[in-house]
Amino acid sequence: MSVSVSVPRTVERRSRGGLWYGLLTGGMVVGLGCFVYQWINGLAVTGLSNTISWGMYIISFMFLVGVSAGGLIVAAGAELVGSERFESLTRLAVILSGAAIAAAAISILPDLGRPQMIWRMIRQPHWTSPLIWDVIIITVYLTIAAVDLYILTRPNPKPGAMRTMAFFALPAAVLVHSITAWIFGLLVARPFWNTALLAPMFISSALVSGLALLIVVAHVTDRTTAWHPAEEALPDLGRLMVWFIAVDGFLLFAEILTTYASRVPDHLKQLNVLLVGRLAPVFWAEVALGVVVPFVICASRLRYRRGWLVAAGVLAMLGVFFKRINIVMTSMFMPLVGLAPGIPGGRAGQEFRPDPIYIPTWVEWGILLGLACFVGMLITLGVRAFVVPRPEAARP
Amino acid sequence: MAETSNQPTKVSPIEALPEASREYGAIGEVSDQPRWGMAIDTERCIGCWSCAVICKSENDVPLGMWWNRILTKGDELDTPTVGEFGNLEMSWVPLACQHCDDPPCMKVCPTSATFVDAENGFLVEVNQQDCIGCRYCMAACPYGVRVFNWGEPDYAVEGFDLGMVAGRPIGSVEKCTMCIHRLQEDQVPSCVWSCPAQARIFGDLNDDDGRLVQTIQDRNGTRLLEEKGTKPKVYYLEQRRRRSL
Repeated sequence: MSVSVSVPRTVERRSRGGLWYGLLTGGMVVGLGCFVYQWINGLAVTGLSNTISWGMYIISFMFLVGVSAGGLIVAAGAELVGSERFESLTRLAVILSGAAIAAAAISILPDLGRPQMIWRMIRQPHWTSPLIWDVIIITVYLTIAAVDLYILTRPNPKPGAMRTMAFFALPAAVLVHSITAWIFGLLVARPFWNTALLAPMFISSALVSGLALLIVVAHVTDRTTAWHPAEEALPDLGRLMVWFIAVDGFLLFAEILTTYASRVPDHLKQLNVLLVGRLAPVFWAEVALGVVVPFVICASRLRYRRGWLVAAGVLAMLGVFFKRINIVMTSMFMPLVGLAPGIPGGRAGQEFRPDPIYIPTWVEWGILLGLACFVGMLITLGVRAFVVPRPEAARP
Repeated sequence: MAETSNQPTKVSPIEALPEASREYGAIGEVSDQPRWGMAIDTERCIGCWSCAVICKSENDVPLGMWWNRILTKGDELDTPTVGEFGNLEMSWVPLACQHCDDPPCMKVCPTSATFVDAENGFLVEVNQQDCIGCRYCMAACPYGVRVFNWGEPDYAVEGFDLGMVAGRPIGSVEKCTMCIHRLQEDQVPSCVWSCPAQARIFGDLNDDDGRLVQTIQDRNGTRLLEEKGTKPKVYYLEQRRRRSL
């Protein structure tokens, strides 16, 4: 299906492309190998325990759902407000959305103890479970991305078709992040997650990371292929990102202030893990690298300098990834019933863990690498097939 | 309901018990629609871990996993804490599945593998055949009593198997079943009959005149994390006087 249509002009370019595909394929093979290894030996090969029962797989799932926001929001938002600034970016944006959400759906598999049983979610869905709602909305979202891509790549797109799609795409985008947030936010057992702000926070940080990914990929595509965005498009994305970073930072501040001022013990205990406790380095890195620096770059004239803008994009994505780590780990570190000797670790030799630690193993990193390469491969193939102009067409 | 792995798959050794033992562990009178519950008297509990150990043998719980454990209200496992008025204090909270009437774990399970068993006293049970191993229930449980089969089960004695319950597959979640296999033979759970301090009372919460309900009322039984609204069927009886150490 995804035929590479751009004919490499030089031998050098061909070998560079070959190397890129080779690296991505290699990473995917490593990831798949790690997944099979884990499937055979059980999740004992991960760093997870009964105390910290969710780890890097869930974090990367949250992150991938988040970065899928950028595309459909840009494509649909631009359409709804009638803005033509991002016209040149819509195809690329939709491809990013589709690639990220497809990888998010796959990233659930390694988290399951019995992946071979996943069909039971379809045979006997339990409708009160937010996980079932998430499966449905992710399927809808993926379908919308596919339809969008189909419309955008017709030789003569029907006028207004994208506009009609936008009416479905925007609510679906809002829902996909909200429901992913509600997987966590509806649990009474986890005070740090159990806040009504979680869904809005997921949407805002999803928008930040989605736009950031769009900036980075657009830059790389601009430099390595015959496709080029409109001159003002990328700085304009940066300007848009300022608002999303500001909203994201505001929501984070509102959450911390509410907890800190009201001092509800369970909630405060978990927040302190973040502010002054063991996760403090990751949290303050999140604030500095993910909020302050990208905000300053994008709010100032620096956004017109490509290097700075791309750096802001990379940092913003890193910040949102750190944020996902913090959200998951803070609650896992502090079980509600925290009396000694704690929760049994789950394997021989780790009877109890009053002070839980979680260090991801090479298997988890391998699978994460595989996922990253899978996203990279989908984006590369999508960009080659649908974004980069065909050489014949490019000729006058 | 498909056949659950919680049901005994082998001939239960309970049948082979001498008559006197069976009588000692008998549940006794219950209402027409029993709702199994338990009261744990923290005044009587001496924190000896007997119930935790017998639970492991009864249910073949592998190394590193505990369905039932004894938490210590103190600074460390064996160190008392300095209480409100400068007195040294130490007490224990035996903790296993609370068998909530409104269980958060059941609500989030995507395949209904965790369910409230209306035919067995409204206990919260797990059908491991349906479990996909997503561990959502573990994140949702406020009490942290669920354990996961991370890998091949490991036992202190090779091939250890008391033969009461079926093994659980790798990658599935398990927890206290309230010894459902014993209840079906009119026997109380193992943690109850084995407690040397007789700190546990098992019974039917729907039987208003029964010993369980009467004791909970007399002693103003409380439930763990009551404010979370999970409505546990396990009650804790507070100490009636402060014993200074």
